Amino acid sequence: MEQALELDGLTKVFGDERAVDDLSLQVPAGSFFGVLGPNGAGKTTSLSMAVGLLRPDGGTARIFGVDVWREPTRAKALVGVLPDGLGMPERLTGREVLTYLGLLRGLPEDEVARRAAELLEVLELDHEDDKQVIGYSTGMRKKLGLAVALLHAPRLLVLDEPFEAVDPVSAATIRTILHRFIAGGGSVVMSSHVMALVEQLCDRVAVVAGGKVVAAGTVAEVQAGGSLEDAFVSLVGASTRGAEGLTWLSH
Amino acid sequence: MALALTYGTSRTLVRMRLVAFRHALEDQLRRSWIVTGGFVGLALAGGTLWVAARGDQDVLVVVLAVWMLGWVVGPLFAGGGDETLKPEYFTMMPLPPRTLSTGLLVAALAGVAPVISLIALLSLVVVSGGVAAALVAVPALLLQLLCFVLASRLAVAVYGVLLQVRSGAVIAALVNAFILAFTAQGWALIVAFVSTDVQGTVGKAARIAPSGWGLVAVDAAGRGDWLEVLAALAGLVVLAGLMLLAWSALLVRRTTVTRAGRTPRRLLTARTPEGAAAAKELRSWTRDLLYGHRAVFAVAYGLFFCMMPLAIGMKSMLPWAGPAAVVMAGSMAANLYGADGTAFWTTLMTPGSSRADVRARQRAFLLVFGPSTLLITLLLTWWSGDTGAWPLVLSVLPALLGGAAGLVVACSVYAAVPTTDAHKRSGNPLNSGENEGETMGIVYVMLVLVATTCAPALVMALYTGWWGVPVGVLSGVLAWWYFGRVAARRLDARGPELLTLLRHGRSPAEQAKKTAGLDALPKWRRTLAGFCLGFAAIPLFPQAVVPAVFKLTGNHDTKSWFLALYQDGPWQWVVIVLMAALGLSMYAFGGLTYYRAKKRAPDGSVAVVAG
Repeated sequence: MEQALELDGLTKVFGDERAVDDLSLQVPAGSFFGVLGPNGAGKTTSLSMAVGLLRPDGGTARIFGVDVWREPTRAKALVGVLPDGLGMPERLTGREVLTYLGLLRGLPEDEVARRAAELLEVLELDHEDDKQVIGYSTGMRKKLGLAVALLHAPRLLVLDEPFEAVDPVSAATIRTILHRFIAGGGSVVMSSHVMALVEQLCDRVAVVAGGKVVAAGTVAEVQAGGSLEDAFVSLVGASTRGAEGLTWLSH
Repeated sequence: MALALTYGTSRTLVRMRLVAFRHALEDQLRRSWIVTGGFVGLALAGGTLWVAARGDQDVLVVVLAVWMLGWVVGPLFAGGGDETLKPEYFTMMPLPPRTLSTGLLVAALAGVAPVISLIALLSLVVVSGGVAAALVAVPALLLQLLCFVLASRLAVAVYGVLLQVRSGAVIAALVNAFILAFTAQGWALIVAFVSTDVQGTVGKAARIAPSGWGLVAVDAAGRGDWLEVLAALAGLVVLAGLMLLAWSALLVRRTTVTRAGRTPRRLLTARTPEGAAAAKELRSWTRDLLYGHRAVFAVAYGLFFCMMPLAIGMKSMLPWAGPAAVVMAGSMAANLYGADGTAFWTTLMTPGSSRADVRARQRAFLLVFGPSTLLITLLLTWWSGDTGAWPLVLSVLPALLGGAAGLVVACSVYAAVPTTDAHKRSGNPLNSGENEGETMGIVYVMLVLVATTCAPALVMALYTGWWGVPVGVLSGVLAWWYFGRVAARRLDARGPELLTLLRHGRSPAEQAKKTAGLDALPKWRRTLAGFCLGFAAIPLFPQAVVPAVFKLTGNHDTKSWFLALYQDGPWQWVVIVLMAALGLSMYAFGGLTYYRAKKRAPDGSVAVVAG
């Protein structure tokens, strides 16, 4: 089976800390892949290395067989990315951001205009044409980021926390868009903290903890009969806290 | 009760600030900037004390005025001044605004710069020359320091308000440009409008300015004029109180007003990748008030600097306003990638866009500063009536424009200073992170570098006249093309590293990796190399370059602390050459030590991707 994304032995060391430690992962083409993990597990670092935003200390990343670090130009044409918490060209409006990035990717002018208009309309950003990105809310920034990722019709989407701070109506819209993207032959890799969402959307998941993949497979395989949340908690070896201590919180 | 709360708040804020300072010292690069700045400051403070020891009060009062001016204008260049503790951190604390601002003020005093200013202000004690006057000097210098720091904070707050609207940004730029140009060329205005006794007038004015009130008090105490002592000290107290009130009010405003961009006027219309990139960059210059502020500042500085001598009918500087503006513009636009922050990921993820992006930034720079400085140069050179200046300025201007357009992108890529992302910034529009020392240093280095790019054209024009123009155009085009290409290639090769730097800054961990080779050296060698790099400037510049300039320009009156000028005849040159050699070899030793250590580091900072 063709692999949309293939990570092999990815490693990143910050000082003494191995943020990502020999991480390997296969995302089959056509799958909706969820990456789960506690805070600081190395999800963002891994995804950054997978798409060419952060140079790994070791290991390889391939997108549809193209090595991201040997042939970055070819690989980047195949992937659309929504990074978490990065800036945008702040002094442009949403429409201008899409126009600018579409033209930079070499799309013809009228095609860029058409796609930008449709994306803004679907994501309900078309009423914000008088607003520069610097005035956007966190949720609006996410939606614009998703539009940027979709703009050049990539074969693979890599989305870091795409539903964070997005309102329920927009979230439903995004879910529909992503399902259509998969149905049209695309592949999606998405990181998230929200178990219910991953359970509902993804057909495959990987659980990352301490910079390693501790479990991967179809949702059913990882769940192993229970709920995904229970499986997650037992996999990352954490116990839920909060029942003891904190007595001073009571009035 | 209120007093206890203020005391407690201040104490906690000072502790926070000192902890942050300690962390800053753990970072090799920031430490070296702090140490370098500290040494420069100490040298200046030493100079101030020396002036006081000579007992020349007229000079001292002017020097003190310059200190205060530094506190007020400095933040403009140093990224908004020190903002270790941002007022925004404390908005949800149930603290009265004045308690918070007093606490922040006290915390602001716990830094390197206030300590250095305190040392400089000890000059009030040195100059007092009597027990009574010395006793007056102690409260006077403390109040004076308080006023320095408050004036700085207030100035930053006022910039903050002004930079929220276009007209304010322009006004702030004009005022700053005037102040800075005045420090260099103000003598002409004084001669023209006040008297020909420049030094006396400046001395008098500096006594009237608040920076001189401390000295006035000490001076009056020496004469036994206690009424004047009281008046001067009371003046400082009242001034400090007023500034504190104003600053508190502006802080409340800063933390409760949101900043959305204004409604844009012309929407982006472009057809090609290159056009789109250029259009985006131009929008930054026209829509981001900080960009616009810097552009107006650079052009206005060039104009003021060269037009002030007009007051005494001196027209010979007029033709140079355009070139001066370009040099200033180049040094203010040297951190383009840093200023855009992590938005760089959009360029990085768009295949093959580095070249378009770099060229677009050059194009925008040339569009903003090219026509404006050319027009200024043509008009003012014509006005000056100095026909001999035509070949000179027309040779120098294209060389500088091309040189600056090349160097700004090269510097922005190679020496990017991480800043806080625009959408995460505080209410201080000048503040953009915690690297104020680095930002300031790059401004100075770029002033020199950009100015150097006109050297071939200037030499050619001086010797051959009009042949300088083609040389200037050629060197400008070459610099634009070459440095742009270098920058684009660097972006292609090391884009991810640049993004990591802009995203996470220089974390102590990354730093540790970079300095791994250095840490392997014996401690004495590291200390010696650091010492050489820190102090090499002293023999090289003040002891060699400056006295050499003095000798060449025929200035024989000032000996100051220039060792060479105390020698006889030819020995002066011997001392200058020896000092220059000493400075250069110190730089060479320090630089080589660091360079070798870096090469020896395992992998250096370059990660190797296994195939």
